[in-house]
Amino acid sequence: MANTTSPSGAARTTLTLLGSLTGAALLGALHSHARPPPATRSPAKAPVPDPAAANRAARRLNRAAGTLAASVLFDSTVEHYRGQFQNRAMYTPLVTAAMALGVSAHGTMDERQTPHVVRDTVYALISIVGLVGTGFHLFNVRRKAGGFSWQNLFYGAPLGAPMAIGLSGLLGYLSERVRETPPGQVPMIWGLPAGRVVGVVSGLGITGTVGEAALLHFRGGFHDPFMYLPVTMPPVAAIVLGRSALGPAGIARRATRWWLRATAILGLSGTAFHAIGVGRDMGGWRNWQQNILNGPPIPAPPAFTGLALAGLAALGLLEDHPDD
Amino acid sequence: MYDNPLTTPRATHGRAPDVFHPGGWVPMREYPQREAVDFVVIGTGAGGGPLLARLAERGYSVIGFDAGPYFRPLEDFASDETSQSQLFWTDERLVDGANPLKMGANNSGRAVGGSTVHYAMVSLRFRPEWFRSRTLLGYGADWPLDWREMWHYYARAERDLAIAGPVSYPWGPKRPRYPYRAHEINGAAEVLARGAEAMGYQWSETPLATVSAPRGDSPSCVYRGFCRVGCATNAKQSQLVTYIPRALAAGAEIRDMAMVGRIAVDAAGRACGVHYHRNGAWHFQAARNVIVAGYAIETPRLLLNSATDRFRNGLANSSGLVGRYLMTQSNQAVYGVMDDMVRWNKGPPSLTITEHWNYNDRKDFHGGYCWMAQGPLPVEWSAAMSTSRRLWGAALREKMGDYNHQVGLKMVGEMLPHLDNRVTLADETDRYGLPIARVTYSWHDNDKAMIQHALGEMQRSLELVGVRDLWRQENDTNHLAGTARMGFDRETSVVDADCRSWDIPNLWICDGSVFPTTGGVNPSLTITALALRTADRICVQARTGEMRK
Ligand SMILES: Cc1cc2nc3c(=O)[nH]c(=O)nc-3n(C[C@H](O)[C@H](O)[C@H](O)COP(=O)(O)OP(=O)(O)OC[C@H]3O[C@@H](n4cnc5c(N)ncnc54)[C@H](O)[C@@H]3O)c2cc1C
Ligand code: SF4
Repeated sequence: MANTTSPSGAARTTLTLLGSLTGAALLGALHSHARPPPATRSPAKAPVPDPAAANRAARRLNRAAGTLAASVLFDSTVEHYRGQFQNRAMYTPLVTAAMALGVSAHGTMDERQTPHVVRDTVYALISIVGLVGTGFHLFNVRRKAGGFSWQNLFYGAPLGAPMAIGLSGLLGYLSERVRETPPGQVPMIWGLPAGRVVGVVSGLGITGTVGEAALLHFRGGFHDPFMYLPVTMPPVAAIVLGRSALGPAGIARRATRWWLRATAILGLSGTAFHAIGVGRDMGGWRNWQQNILNGPPIPAPPAFTGLALAGLAALGLLEDHPDD
Repeated sequence: MYDNPLTTPRATHGRAPDVFHPGGWVPMREYPQREAVDFVVIGTGAGGGPLLARLAERGYSVIGFDAGPYFRPLEDFASDETSQSQLFWTDERLVDGANPLKMGANNSGRAVGGSTVHYAMVSLRFRPEWFRSRTLLGYGADWPLDWREMWHYYARAERDLAIAGPVSYPWGPKRPRYPYRAHEINGAAEVLARGAEAMGYQWSETPLATVSAPRGDSPSCVYRGFCRVGCATNAKQSQLVTYIPRALAAGAEIRDMAMVGRIAVDAAGRACGVHYHRNGAWHFQAARNVIVAGYAIETPRLLLNSATDRFRNGLANSSGLVGRYLMTQSNQAVYGVMDDMVRWNKGPPSLTITEHWNYNDRKDFHGGYCWMAQGPLPVEWSAAMSTSRRLWGAALREKMGDYNHQVGLKMVGEMLPHLDNRVTLADETDRYGLPIARVTYSWHDNDKAMIQHALGEMQRSLELVGVRDLWRQENDTNHLAGTARMGFDRETSVVDADCRSWDIPNLWICDGSVFPTTGGVNPSLTITALALRTADRICVQARTGEMRK
């Protein structure tokens, strides 16, 4: 039977190529240099917490928050430009995501062990803006004919997008808490071991992002088999991360690390997959001005990368500061 | 140099146009004229297309004939309403009766791919009871088919055409998920939704044969709304970009710009080939089996024009019913103006639908109807305003200023079959020297009652959402059906449930003309499902030896 359902020509070639590259990268992640497992320890002699380790973890979290913010910044710019900035509030994510990106860059480079008041405030503010934005988007969807129907979930304001900026703020806020750990102490947040808190937050973040990808890929009818990747691999990452965050600390977690790395890689290659998708719309990349707006969102997939990086930071915290 | 598909056939020399690549070609098998092929299919539309693909895929030698051109959508289709009349069957036909049908753009396509090249892509299933409307609902005629079997073929047709539809459809028995998700609805479609909600009726996104995400080499729909004058992107899943490429890849041949004038019958009374006109001359193609899929006017015309001494009243016509029971569908509308900007022409024209009155039997007339959102292009709109509303000059100009605020609802209603609504041959002949069709049509009381009911309902729903300056377009009709009805026996029908003619065992009729009743939904998906079933039945009969009977 003639195949009228899969693309021919350049789209087919690039898809195959990118699929193989992604596969190779995932294999690479499996074999890449794993961190040496922490020295075997006896319960009587817990290692003294290393302040440099706390700083390292905090900076990793800044990097994660920044990656997420960058994804939101570009994505919401495109989407809200498409929506012609009908409402002034639509500039909000641009401003907040840009601020988050800025302070995250600052934090990633900052080797001091004390939180920074501007960074801290910006992060806290952004977490709140994320919540408010989610409310706005909910209101927008509810208002349309049909209310919470698939039509409005597909094409109305995306509920997950403001959440993402909120998450970026939250990760940054957690980063500041890790950073302020007094020398010789185990990083704690809200009275709980930091690694566990960050692990749970990242795991939930990945789960939410999977939900968003699932909704939008369902909207796209899963017309390409690669569209199943972001709804199958990251959920496993979220589960193993959740188990690590809630289970016993201080042991090596090769599988968790691999799944998180795989998710980070997937976030990056998703960008390239989406770029191919844009090329499959009418006029291809020659017509980029329209297709960038209508095709799959190129900046969206790295949200997975940001959250996977946060998960890896959590894993580092758990291994550096075993709490049991 | 531009090769004009309207004057010169394109599918020649072992190749056919590659509809997905400008200037490209795909290889095409060619069959010699003297050697009989397994099947000749006359017409390559909603009925002919799937037959060509399925029969070729099962290994039969098949040739599809179409009187129309082989278009390259990416190159030939202009975003220009007037230039696109090239798509329609505009040859002369005589019309009479109390309500003469307006023939052309609104009901007959002429191209490889048939009317699906310019149809509005609305892809609906019959209500199951309609297959037994005489027994269960007390009007029309029963189909000799079981709705559950049709349900199976509908699902296949929906997969093959990648229908984009709602996640769950509010009416009728459960159906599998549509392959693609529904499109984003536009302003005009939202007015239908709000109006339906105000009346307490359910509404839905309309299942459409245009993709909401890429499929193969088809890009997703770009919502420019030129669907009915030919989709220039290939997002529309017409037969031209679905079944026809499949047929070619499986070894079928397409003869474009090839008008079949006569089906030949041998001494034993079996069809043995077709006389066709191509490249300025008449030719003969020998065939073991012939399938007619020329739609409700051209199919009976061809059968009647093929009369012989043995079959004096035309082929397959011992019942005298060829050409009888012609049906159209009522297509009346209510239009009005919104204060807000609507831009109703953006996107496919019928993005939302309510089938409320197809599934509700508390009404004082037979049959059902649905209504859909509207989005006519400017030329079509000004024509509607001048003919139905009798506006001219400055008044028309002024009203055209409201174009972007205009909204409308249009019904698709079931007209009942009547013996006297029919296609016959006129004395006049066309450019090939063939007698042309005379189309006689009158509305009956039930038809008129339904139209008034629908106009009232549509108007009320618009009033409820604050649409002003309302007016009714009362004269429109569209899709055709009937003229070679299927049935249970040779006295009361032309073909059996397998679309095989009662009189000539190797002659099939498989298009909209076999409908005993037309239902209150657009017909093409039912035609395609029927064709898929017929192809399967042919294969079964070939296996069991029944074909040779
Ligand atoms: C403007 C418009 C919009 C429509 N919108 C919808 C819609 O949204 N949904 C829906 O379900 N239906 C729609 N329809 C109706 C639908 O297109 C037809 O019902 C369907 O295509 C009929 O299928 P068919 O196979 O019977 O005939 P067609 O698809 O019309 O195919 C018949 C073909 O046979 C060829 N032919 C005829 N006689 C001969 C001959 N003697 N020799 C060679 N070739 C011949 C013709 O050139 C034509 O190409 C629409 C129709 C029109 C005109
Ligand atoms: S609106 Fe969609 S289906 Fe219609 S012509 Fe444009 S691209 Fe084709």
